[in-house]
Amino acid sequence: MIRVVALRKAAAAGLAGAVATEAFSFAASRAHLGAVDLVGQLSSVALGLPRAVSLVAAAVAHVGVGVCWAVFYAFFFWGRLRLRPTLQGLIFAAIPAALTMLVVYPELALMQHPSGMVKIDVATFFAPLTVAALVSIALAHAIFGLVVGALYRRPVGYAVTHRPKPPRPRRAEATRVRRDQSPAGFLFATGIECSYPTIENGRWRRDEMESTRHYDFWQRDLERAREIGVTHIRYGPPLHLIFESPGRYCWDYIDPQMEELRDAGPEPIIDLCHFGVPSWLGNLQNPDLAASLAEYAGAFAERFPWVRFYTPVNEMYVCARMSALDGLWNEQLRDEGAYARAAWNLANASIAMSDAILKRRDDAILINSESSEFYQPCCPDDEIQRIASESNERRFLPLDLIFAHPLDERMHDLLLAQGIPQEEIAGLGRRKVPRRSILGIDYYEWNERLIDREGHAVALGELFGWYVIANQYWERYHRPMMHTETNKMDAAGAPRWLWRQWHNVQLLAKAGVPLVGFTWYSLIDQIDWSIAMSQAVGLVYPVGLCDLNREPRTVGLAYKQLIDLYRDQPDYRECKGLKEIIG
Amino acid sequence: MAGFLSAHGYDPGPSQRPFLAGAISGVLGTVPAIVALLAFGSLKVEAHILGLSPIETLGAGWVTMAIAGAAYSRFFGRAANEVRGGWLFGMSFGFGLWAAGAVLVLPVLSGGRAPAGAAAVGVALSLIVWGLATGLLLPFVHRPLHESIESASKDAKVGPGAAAANRGPIRQQRRGMRG
Repeated sequence: MIRVVALRKAAAAGLAGAVATEAFSFAASRAHLGAVDLVGQLSSVALGLPRAVSLVAAAVAHVGVGVCWAVFYAFFFWGRLRLRPTLQGLIFAAIPAALTMLVVYPELALMQHPSGMVKIDVATFFAPLTVAALVSIALAHAIFGLVVGALYRRPVGYAVTHRPKPPRPRRAEATRVRRDQSPAGFLFATGIECSYPTIENGRWRRDEMESTRHYDFWQRDLERAREIGVTHIRYGPPLHLIFESPGRYCWDYIDPQMEELRDAGPEPIIDLCHFGVPSWLGNLQNPDLAASLAEYAGAFAERFPWVRFYTPVNEMYVCARMSALDGLWNEQLRDEGAYARAAWNLANASIAMSDAILKRRDDAILINSESSEFYQPCCPDDEIQRIASESNERRFLPLDLIFAHPLDERMHDLLLAQGIPQEEIAGLGRRKVPRRSILGIDYYEWNERLIDREGHAVALGELFGWYVIANQYWERYHRPMMHTETNKMDAAGAPRWLWRQWHNVQLLAKAGVPLVGFTWYSLIDQIDWSIAMSQAVGLVYPVGLCDLNREPRTVGLAYKQLIDLYRDQPDYRECKGLKEIIG
Repeated sequence: MAGFLSAHGYDPGPSQRPFLAGAISGVLGTVPAIVALLAFGSLKVEAHILGLSPIETLGAGWVTMAIAGAAYSRFFGRAANEVRGGWLFGMSFGFGLWAAGAVLVLPVLSGGRAPAGAAAVGVALSLIVWGLATGLLLPFVHRPLHESIESASKDAKVGPGAAAANRGPIRQQRRGMRG
């Protein structure tokens, strides 16, 4: 798949476009302006059919062509130009217009010829193209483009009031038996991208599992994961669809997949909250978030008591920043105070969810994934140094809160300024962090950033590398660690990135840091991550081990080779760090 | 369009066999195309223009469409495996073949002779139907032809050596630099 296309929406747009076009063509030809009536011309081809039948066939063919062009637009053109959708449609219409002028319309004249063969040259072929015909063809196609452009938009996601179809039922015969593995084996993981923030001020829901058609192909996806040999999979049940209201859950969205994961693997690392909350909870500024999400986590752990690994809240820093500082998701604010409030709420939710899980299963292992970020000042300028320093402190806020690390003074004051009582902040600082807590560190090539002379953050690429950045987090928290996310957009360069990340992991482990796992994220390609899911465009982000047709990418083969090489080595068959945690 | 396809991995996929899958699909897609040619009386006209017998025309057409199917599969890469869009990509390709081949090249090669009337409709329809069938069939034809992940993952190109920017031992690379 190259683009996520809403086929029905495109077909409806094409149908409407074809009808509007014909309405114009018909009216213009009846006004004796020398205009081309496309359906009329089509119905005049020499097939010897009764007039009424010819007209119906021509109308059907005209609509069919319109639908095809609209789907073509949806696949190859929509979203490529940063213009209003109607203008995109108008520009696109130049393609069918040109083909009609140069090929179809002159050829139609030949098709109307009574004999089976003619002798032509360039002049006779293009003879039907009068100025009036050219103008009317151009205008008719402009109308088509405007209609299609106006109607075809937001091909991915859905209105927050809508509920997508639940996943397909499980086919037991499609499941292969999983390979036996040690409960303390190193985690060779991948994940199913499952983000579900809202955009457009809470009106439109992004749902990566729906956009990537995981609800349809979930069983094939899990089979692919087993073929590649991953031992664990980061899996995020759609919180916004399952948790309908306090005390009410719709488990249909997750039961079949959980049954399959339980029976055949890979072992899931359940990701309970991934960048969004149910609409009835509002957004991340809601102070009731912790209590509500704790209820959900408890209910989940009770329903699936066999699950060992949990990520209560994924990438709290990224979620808070994108929602409250960058203004892209959920509450869509751009305010430092709102960021602090979101981070506080998410950290409290993570803690309350962890407690709720541990109450049901005291040996559960908590993998707190966070994006590793680093800001480098470009020069000795005081202002640039200050921005870099503040950015570096801001990234630690959610983790400081859940791991009871003393807060940076500025972050502490920011929380106080949001009306959060001093005793509550101090209470988190005194909290006993659960023993089985792992720090998950995600890393991408844009995680290291330079604060440039204008004070803007620009991506540095892999300057210091995961080893150095992850080591900063190790020095701060001294928790067992896992590389919980990485990928590379360049499909050809992805195997190189994979092996280099792996060598970073090995080096950090050799330096004495207890490392329990590695993750290529994700199993299949993602949608719209190149624009941080801030608009519903449907662009494929080709970073998966497999593409959206579920065909392996080169990096999928590379990861399989990596896993096959290392999985049975003594240090990985029984991972010391994980064994110590399991105790 | 080619640039857009390229951004998503222009290679058809490391375990895929695009030429074979495309050629088989192209051959299969020719069956409904022949039906269209016969229904509109286009085959005789085409054969007359080409100076061949109808059987020879069919044979040549089958070979041509096998090559066209392979070209379609290679050009569209991963997109050709897309069930929801394959029909449209195939039809676009078929339309392209008609516009370039039947409308432009054929009259030039035959001294200006071109199919007309119902025969012209049949030629157009046959190529669009061929594209539709080829595009629809290819994802299903391709699936059983894939190399397994197990064997494809053994390739040294995706192994540990991929971590290095330049392949080969440093000594060899230095020698190469000295020329």
